[in-house]
Amino acid sequence: MAATLAEPPTRPNRVLSWSGSGPGTTGGGVRPVPLSVMTQVPETEETVEERTARFERDALVFIDQLYSAAMRMTRNPHDAEDLVQETYAKAFSAFHQFKAGTNLKAWLYRILTNAFINSYRKKQRQPIQDSREQVEDWQLARAETHTSSGLKSAEMEALERLPDSDVKDALQSIPEDFRLAVYLADVEGFAYKEIAEIMGTPVGTVMSRLHRGRNQLRVLLGDYARGRGLVRGQADAHEEVAP
Amino acid sequence: MNGGNGHPGCQEILERVYLFIDNELAGADSAQIQGHLEECAPCLHAVDMERLVKSLVARSCSERAPVELRQRVVFELRQVQFDLYPRRFDID
Repeated sequence: MAATLAEPPTRPNRVLSWSGSGPGTTGGGVRPVPLSVMTQVPETEETVEERTARFERDALVFIDQLYSAAMRMTRNPHDAEDLVQETYAKAFSAFHQFKAGTNLKAWLYRILTNAFINSYRKKQRQPIQDSREQVEDWQLARAETHTSSGLKSAEMEALERLPDSDVKDALQSIPEDFRLAVYLADVEGFAYKEIAEIMGTPVGTVMSRLHRGRNQLRVLLGDYARGRGLVRGQADAHEEVAP
Repeated sequence: MNGGNGHPGCQEILERVYLFIDNELAGADSAQIQGHLEECAPCLHAVDMERLVKSLVARSCSERAPVELRQRVVFELRQVQFDLYPRRFDID
């Protein structure tokens, strides 16, 4: 794939629509938040073509993952595609700042997250609150305590049989910050420290979001399973079933 | 709150269940929890449940980017590469 972009390597000044702003201000207003550990760029001795090829080779492999994350953020394919495209444009414009050998995936996620916060979150400020979203602490408390192992096993078997769409719905139902933390930890396997950098928060906040997000998720998934009749006879063991 | 079955460490396990399943604990701490789980079925179930939820999210939330999106991204990169990066020959 990279081979096709080979421009003849000589011929300076050909189609350069370089606006004369100089290398320090590339990207016209695009300023991804610096990643303290990840930037620090020594001038490399690579050509434009080499840099583009390196970006395509190293960054594009994450497109499925970034798209998945964008779907969880925006909740619809159209916005997710736009967000991913914007992310790559911004990442490419800042790629000269990226230090090879550091965590490119986390860097891309950071740009994605910033782009989402700046461009999309405002539009979506009034999330459609599903009633299932309101998971109260008293409901969570129930889940924090031990229950009989028989009940747990039955519930776990039920959860395993939930379709992917239910899991996605449940994840969509929890608050955005929790959702993203859970996604980054569980789908992408980022360490807490990396999630903290991506989300721009302290590690303690990440832990709190994971804790609350997963608690809510577990309760929701249990409700889905009972709603589908997958936990027959178990629901009334600890909960009134609406007539 | 205690675990209800007399094991003293249950509450601590429940508090650290996410650190444990996310591999965020140091080896000794992790081993300590592992030791507790081998003796405490309720805690083991609690941990298994959290692992299950984690695996459900991992299983259900991976998608493939549409082919057209990939093509658009590549196209755009090649469009902007000359706008963004002056060639080395020029700088000199």
